[in-house]
Amino acid sequence: MGKEALYHPFFIILLILLSVMLLICLIRAVKGPRVADRLVAVNMMGTMVMVMISILALLLKEGYLVDICLIYAMISFLAVVVISKVYIGIYEERHHSLENGEGGNTDERG
Amino acid sequence: MNAVEWIRFLIGSVFLVIGMVIFFTELFGVFHFKYVLNRMHAAAMGDTLGISSCLLGLMIFSGLNFTTLKMFLIVVFLWFASPVSSHVLSRLEAATNEHLSNHCELYEDVTLLERELAARRTENTMEKEADLS
Repeated sequence: MGKEALYHPFFIILLILLSVMLLICLIRAVKGPRVADRLVAVNMMGTMVMVMISILALLLKEGYLVDICLIYAMISFLAVVVISKVYIGIYEERHHSLENGEGGNTDERG
Repeated sequence: MNAVEWIRFLIGSVFLVIGMVIFFTELFGVFHFKYVLNRMHAAAMGDTLGISSCLLGLMIFSGLNFTTLKMFLIVVFLWFASPVSSHVLSRLEAATNEHLSNHCELYEDVTLLERELAARRTENTMEKEADLS
């Protein structure tokens, strides 16, 4: 069938490009000087992995892979929110315990 | 393959390639900018426009079935989730960075910013009037 021969190489090329970009994203996540840098890079990686899963769902003709993609989107959103909340809490706790006098500085912004 | 399938393949692949270009732009922006709050601007673009363009191309490939509906649901979910996660991340950066004023201007109160913007606006209009006359 001619249809398969057209779609299959196109999807393979897209998957290779996406995986190369994923590796470059990982470099950004390792290099990032601040915590927010790393979280932004992880968020980008999550988006690219979602596209990869959706392409695989059409490539392998398995419709249920798109369900996994939806759940992946929800979990990666939850991870970003929870990690940043936890890190704000840890930072404020450390700040208060180290220097009690200056602790009020971060409360106004946070 | 008849003509309709060819047209479908072409339109879908154009959308997918646009999505790839947007992902590449996002990656370039993340490496090009020097500070997190600038990088976030580039990174939020791929979350909404990049993935919605890619999934639109895949929807055109897939035709009219439940897989298409689920892909549309992913796009709608990301439209809501991406601004919220960007907001939480920028809040994390503002709460934990002690030298934030080195990177951007800070205002104690919103009214100060509004006053400065109003002053800038009146300056601009006065310059335009001077140019016209």
